Amino acid sequence: MQRFNYRLVARLTGLLTLIMAAAMAVPVGVSLYYGDGAHVGLLLAAAAMAAVGGLLHSVLGRGADYELHERESFWITSMVWMAVPLCGALPYLFTGTLHSFTDAAFESFSGFTTTGASVIPDPTAVPQGILLWRAMTQWIGGLGLILFVVALLKRLNRGALTLYSAEFSGTQQRKLHPHISTSVSRMWQIYTLLTVLLIALLIAAGNGILDSICLALSTVSTGGFMTTPLGMSGYSQPTLAILTVFMFLSGVNVALLYNLFTLKWRQLKATHEFWVYAAVFLLAAGSCAVAFGLKGNAWGASASYSLFHIASTISTCGFYTTPPPAWPFGVSVVTFVLILSGAMAGSTGGGLKLRRLMTLLLYLRNYLIRMLHPNVVFTVKIDRQVVPGVYVNKIFGFVFLYICFIIGGAFLLTLSGSGIADAFCLAAANISNLGPSPLINSLGASLDYALLPAAAKWVLMSLMLAGRLEIFALLAIVSPSYWRLRR
Amino acid sequence: MKNAADWKALLRFLGVILMAEGSLMALCMVPAIHFADGTLWRIAACAAATLAVGGALWHTFRNDKEIHDRRMSYLLVTVLWLVLSLFATLPFLTTGSTRSVTVAWFEAMSGVTSCGATAFADVGALPASVLLWRSMTQWFGGFGVVLLVLALSPRMGINKYSLYTAEASGADNTGKTSVRTTVTVRRTLAVYLTLTAVFIILLAVSGMQIWDAVNLTFTNISSGGFSVNSDSIASLSHTQQYLLAAAMLLSGVNFTLLFMLFTFRWRLVRNKMDQLRFYLIICLLASAFVVLALHYHTGYGWNDALRLGTVQTVSALTTTGSVIGDYTQWWTPAVFLLLMLGICGGMAGSTSGGLKVMRVLILWRNARGILRNRLHPNAVDPVKLNGRPVSGHITNNVMVIFMVFGATLMLGVMVLMLCGVSPTEAIGASVGCLTGYGPGLGASGGFGSYAAFSHPAMWVCTLLMILGRLECMTVIILFLPRFWRK
Repeated sequence: MQRFNYRLVARLTGLLTLIMAAAMAVPVGVSLYYGDGAHVGLLLAAAAMAAVGGLLHSVLGRGADYELHERESFWITSMVWMAVPLCGALPYLFTGTLHSFTDAAFESFSGFTTTGASVIPDPTAVPQGILLWRAMTQWIGGLGLILFVVALLKRLNRGALTLYSAEFSGTQQRKLHPHISTSVSRMWQIYTLLTVLLIALLIAAGNGILDSICLALSTVSTGGFMTTPLGMSGYSQPTLAILTVFMFLSGVNVALLYNLFTLKWRQLKATHEFWVYAAVFLLAAGSCAVAFGLKGNAWGASASYSLFHIASTISTCGFYTTPPPAWPFGVSVVTFVLILSGAMAGSTGGGLKLRRLMTLLLYLRNYLIRMLHPNVVFTVKIDRQVVPGVYVNKIFGFVFLYICFIIGGAFLLTLSGSGIADAFCLAAANISNLGPSPLINSLGASLDYALLPAAAKWVLMSLMLAGRLEIFALLAIVSPSYWRLRR
Repeated sequence: MKNAADWKALLRFLGVILMAEGSLMALCMVPAIHFADGTLWRIAACAAATLAVGGALWHTFRNDKEIHDRRMSYLLVTVLWLVLSLFATLPFLTTGSTRSVTVAWFEAMSGVTSCGATAFADVGALPASVLLWRSMTQWFGGFGVVLLVLALSPRMGINKYSLYTAEASGADNTGKTSVRTTVTVRRTLAVYLTLTAVFIILLAVSGMQIWDAVNLTFTNISSGGFSVNSDSIASLSHTQQYLLAAAMLLSGVNFTLLFMLFTFRWRLVRNKMDQLRFYLIICLLASAFVVLALHYHTGYGWNDALRLGTVQTVSALTTTGSVIGDYTQWWTPAVFLLLMLGICGGMAGSTSGGLKVMRVLILWRNARGILRNRLHPNAVDPVKLNGRPVSGHITNNVMVIFMVFGATLMLGVMVLMLCGVSPTEAIGASVGCLTGYGPGLGASGGFGSYAAFSHPAMWVCTLLMILGRLECMTVIILFLPRFWRK
C-alpha cells in the first residue's frame, strides 16, 4: 500500500488559500474606492491568509508528488472545504464587522457553501468591501472549490477526475470534453458569462453597480446573501423578474447550459431532467399563485411573487421578498418539499437533486408493478439509458444518509435549545444550502440566525458542509475503514 | 379483478373474521353484567349484528376457499382492516360513548391497528364494556398483524419483495417456524396466548385488580397502548410498571424468535441474533440517554428517572404508547429521541409498528457499505444479516419502503397542518399515528388525547394509522390504475 500523500493535500489546500488571499485584492480596491475604511482590515486578513497558505503550500507541501488516489481526493476535498472557509472568516473579524469567531465562521461557511444564511443584522451598515467579499465567497463556492483546482492544475491529469468526482459525488455527470480540465474550464466560462450577463442586466434595470455585482454573484451561485435587511423587498419589478429568470437558470445543470449557449439543442431535448425541472417549477409556481389568488390577494402580485419565490426555493438560492398579505398554508408545504428536492444535478443548487428523485420514483413504480407481477424484470431508465442496479443502490444510500443527517442535525439543534419543528426546518434549510427563507417564519419560528446559540451555529455549519459536499467526502475521512488503509 | 370466485372467497374470509370479532364483542357483555353499567343489551345487539353479518357472509360463500389472484390478497388485507374497524365502531356509537361517527371511527381504527391514540378526553368515564372492547380491538388487531406476516405474506408473494423478505425467505430460512402455514399460525397463537396469560397472572399476583390486569395486558402485549385510566399507567405501582415494560419489550420481539426461545431451541435463536442484539442495544442506549436527561436536566431522583426513562423508552421503541409520565414536559432532545424510536420500531414479525429494526439495520449497513465502496472501489462487500449476504435487490426494496414511509410521514405532517394543527403537534400526531405509537406532542401527547383535533384531522390520522399498520405499500398499490386492470 502506498503512503498517504499528505504533501499534496497541504499543497492544494495552501494553493487555494493563496488564491483567496490574492482575490482579496478586489474587495480592498472597492474598499479604497468607496473609502469605507475597511481596507486595513481586509489587507491584514489577506496577509494572514497568505501566510497560512504559503506555509501550507510551500513548506508543508514542498515537493509534493502530483499522483493522487481516492483517499487523498476525499481528504483534499474535505480539507479545502474546511480550511478555506475558516480563513475566509478572517476579513469579518479584522474589519470588526462581526465580533465573535463563531459568527464570522458562520458567515464564511454560509457563503462558501452557497447557503446564504446571514448573521449580519444590517448589511447596509457594513463596509462595501466586506459586502463584495461576502458575495465573492458564494461565487467561488458556487461551482466548487475543487473545480477551481481542477481547472487550474493541468498537471493533475488522471487525479483530476478522481478529485472531480469526490466533490461531485452521487450523480453521473456527462463530461463536456474528454479532457477533464477542459470541460471544467468550460463550466467556469459559462458560469462567468452568466454572471457578467446578469450584472449588465441588473445595472441596466437601474441598480447601483456594487449592488448589482453582489446580487449577481449571489444569484448565479444560488447563494442567497442579500444586501438589505428587508430582503429583496426594495427592488423594482424588472429587477425581480431578471433575478427570477437567472435563479431558474442557475438551477440548470452547468454542462447543459454550456450546450445551450453553443446551440446544441438536441442535448436539451434529450435531458429529461430538464423537462422535469421546468415542469416542477411551473407547476409549483402556478399552484402557489392560485393559492395566493384564492386567498384574496391581487392576481398579478400573486403570480409574480410565486414565480420569484419558487425559483428562489427550487434553486436553493434563498432570496425572499415581501409576500402578498394573506399567506396560504399550502405554499409552505410546496416550499418545504422543494427545499428537499432541489434543482438539477450538476447545477450550483443544493438539495437531493431531481435526477436522484426521478430514479427513486421510477424504482418505486417498478416495485409496485413487481408486487403484482413478481417475475417481471424492470430497469430504471433515465434519458433512455439504463441506470444500473448498483447505481440505484448508491442513490438510495445517499438519500438515507441525507435523511440521517437531517435527523441527527435536528437532534443536535434540540440539544442546543431549539423546538422540534424549528430544528427540522433549520436542519433541512441548511443541509440543502437554502439558507434564508420565509418558510420558517410561516411555521411560526423566527429565522434570525444571529439569535441562535453558538453551538447551534456550528451544527448548522456542519450541515451546510455536508450538504455541499454531498456527505460522502465528509464521512469518508471519519470512517474507520478509511484509516485502516493507512497501515 | 374480474374473477367472481376470488371476490366470493374474499367475502367468505371477511365473514370468518367478522364472526371472530363478534364473538369477542360478545365477551364484553361480561363486564357489562359484572359492573352493571347498563350497556348489556346494546353490546349484545352489536355482537349479534356483527355475528349475523359475518355468519351470513360465511354461509353464503362457504365453498369458496381459495384466493387465486395475488391482487385479491392485497385488497383483502386493506379491506379487512377497514371492515374490522367499521364494526368496531358499533359499541362506541350504540352505548352513547360518543355521538360522532368520526370519533368512533378514530377510536376503532386506533384499536384494530393497535395504535393507541385515543379521541376520548376522559377515558375513565366510559362504561366498562366499552373499555374492554377498546382493549379487545387492540389485542385482536395486534395478533392479526403477526398472523398477516406469518400466514398471509408468503402467499401474497410479498415475502419476496418486502421486508419479511430477508427473513421469511432467501436470506434467512429460519424465519418461518415451520414450512406449513397452519403450524406457524398455531405456534404464533400459542406464543401470543401464553404471553397474555402469563402477564395477566403476573400483574394479578403483583396486586392489581383482575379487571385492570386483563385490560392492560391486552393493550400492552399487542403494542397498542390504550388504558382504562385517564393517566395511562402512571398511577400503577412501580413493580407493575416494570412488568408492563417487560410485556412491551417482549411484544417488540419477533414471535418466531419468541417461540424458539420458549422451546429452548438456542441454535435457531443464534441465527437471528443480529436483529435481537440491535434491538436491545438501541433500547439500552436510548434508555440511558433518557434516564440521564431526566436526572440531570428535568431533575428527577435516580429511582424515578430510571423508572420513567426506561418504561417510556420501551413504550416508544415498541410503539406501544403507554404513558408513564407527561413526556411532553421533558427535555426536548429526550422527546425527540422518543419520536425517533417510534419511527424505528421493534423487530419485524412482532406486534410493534414503525419501520422495524431489521430494515433500519439493513439501511444502516447498506449506507456503510456504499461508503466503503467509495474508498475501495473494487472490494466486494455485500450487506450481511445474521452472517448471510442480503442481495442488492432486497436492500433496494427496503430502501423503497423507507422512502415511502418517510414521504408518508412528511405528507402526514403537512396535511395535518393544513387541517389547522400546530407544527409541533402535527409532527407528533403524524409520527404517533403512522408508527402506531399513539400519543403525540402537545395536547395530544402525554396523558392528553386527540379530542381537540378537528374532524378532518382525525380522518387524516386514521388514514395514517392504516397506512402504517399495513406498511404503506399494500395500501398504496390499490391506487395503481394497473391494479384494477384485467
